Amino acid sequence: MTHPKTPHIVDARYMEPPEPFVQTMEMLDRIQPGEKMLLLLFREPHPLYRVLLQNGHAYETELLPDGTFEILITR
Amino acid sequence: MQALLSFDKSPPLAAPFRFFLTAPVMGMLAALLFLLEGETILASRWTPAALAVTHLLTLGFLAQVMLGALIQILPVVAGANLPAPLWVARLTHAGLLGGTLLLVFGFLWGSPTGLLLGGLGLALSICTFLAISLRALWAVPSTSPTIRSLKLALLALLVVVALGGGLVSVLVFAWGGFDPRWVDLHAAWGLAGWGAALVVALSLVVVPMFQLTPGYPARFSWFLVPAVFAVLIAWSLVQMWADGAGARFFQAGLAVVLAAFALLTLRLQAQRRRARADATYRYWQFGLLSAILACAMQLTVALRPAVSEAPAWSLAFGMLVLVGAFMSFIVGMLYKILPFLAWLHLQNLVPGGKGVPAMNRLLPEAGAAQQFWSHVVLSFLLLLAVIYPLPLTWVLAGLAGLFSQGWLLYHLWRVAHLYWRHLKVIQLGKAAA
Repeated sequence: MTHPKTPHIVDARYMEPPEPFVQTMEMLDRIQPGEKMLLLLFREPHPLYRVLLQNGHAYETELLPDGTFEILITR
Repeated sequence: MQALLSFDKSPPLAAPFRFFLTAPVMGMLAALLFLLEGETILASRWTPAALAVTHLLTLGFLAQVMLGALIQILPVVAGANLPAPLWVARLTHAGLLGGTLLLVFGFLWGSPTGLLLGGLGLALSICTFLAISLRALWAVPSTSPTIRSLKLALLALLVVVALGGGLVSVLVFAWGGFDPRWVDLHAAWGLAGWGAALVVALSLVVVPMFQLTPGYPARFSWFLVPAVFAVLIAWSLVQMWADGAGARFFQAGLAVVLAAFALLTLRLQAQRRRARADATYRYWQFGLLSAILACAMQLTVALRPAVSEAPAWSLAFGMLVLVGAFMSFIVGMLYKILPFLAWLHLQNLVPGGKGVPAMNRLLPEAGAAQQFWSHVVLSFLLLLAVIYPLPLTWVLAGLAGLFSQGWLLYHLWRVAHLYWRHLKVIQLGKAAA
């Protein structure tokens, strides 16, 4: 699976909780409907998934060899 | 931000708190037993007092925290939501606590009724927990190594309970004599299949998250726990139906796989982006070093089985694994997660988090770091008592255990107390508004 490039990236791999959650929601507020953003984390953010689904955002997750989870979220 | 942070599906904190507050009390009971019965405990791993202290540590301390924490974190790390988590917590906690105390009573006083009722209580409560959590977990696809590892760890716990139940029946009903190989399998599935697999599954998430390290390489994460599981199955089959050399091969394999995990975690921690070494970090370093030493001992036994004949050998191994490794991982994790959860729950209740105490006020970091050193002293005194089993050494180790576990209890109680107090103020404020 390849991700289409997006300029909207939150690299939250070295951030303490709940910063990744906060920054992702702020980025989603900034981008236009239909645009995509990429969240990078070393874990799957299940609580965030729930909020994304509740708010009607689609997401796709891919685990890279170095242990990074790439979560591509559509606003 | 208030609504954004809402963890609507996360269980109330009362669910895990009861487990976390019980664990150090069981730890203190184990220390008291060590103080009073040190001579018998240190004579051999097979004495009733040694079996009692082992189960106070494994069921009373380790399993208490592990099951309590799972109720809280299964939705967070795996997206698996337990139905009625508070009821699951109440039932599991009551059965686990009552069962452990009865089993320990059964061992100490040679009471078949105690053993039987304790075994039944434990089997019923742990199996209820397993049925509910496995059902929730099975509904979730294994999209990450953590989810797959958790499923395997819970299945291993089922094996531990089945083997433990079998051993209790043999003791109570004297069915066909006692075979120590079943005890070894019970311990191996408990320590490696359940305990180590659970620590691995959660480390993949919490080590990078709280210690700001790089992630674990994906291929290694997918491979590790299934490898432990496969080796344990092979070991069990060979142990029961073939000669000793085959069993030793798998024993060595298990030591190598788990040591590789511990070494990799140490390497990741060396690359962490958090400059400050807090209590969690120190506890994990100590736990990982103890685990590596225990794996080295295990490898030595596999190559030279005769060394394990000395009573001190298996006792030292047991203490290294239970107190040096598992207890360190667990306490380290509690010191990080408990204030975070309390803070997060309070934060969610107040707009803007106004008046919610900072995490460091709920549990001062300096206090946790000092308690860590009491755990180090306890571990060394235990090892000293194993090597030199004298009244002075076991009394000192018992006192150190009482002190260290008492201190932990005070810290955990403090977080719970401050949480309830602020919760009450918030609820009163809302009622008045």
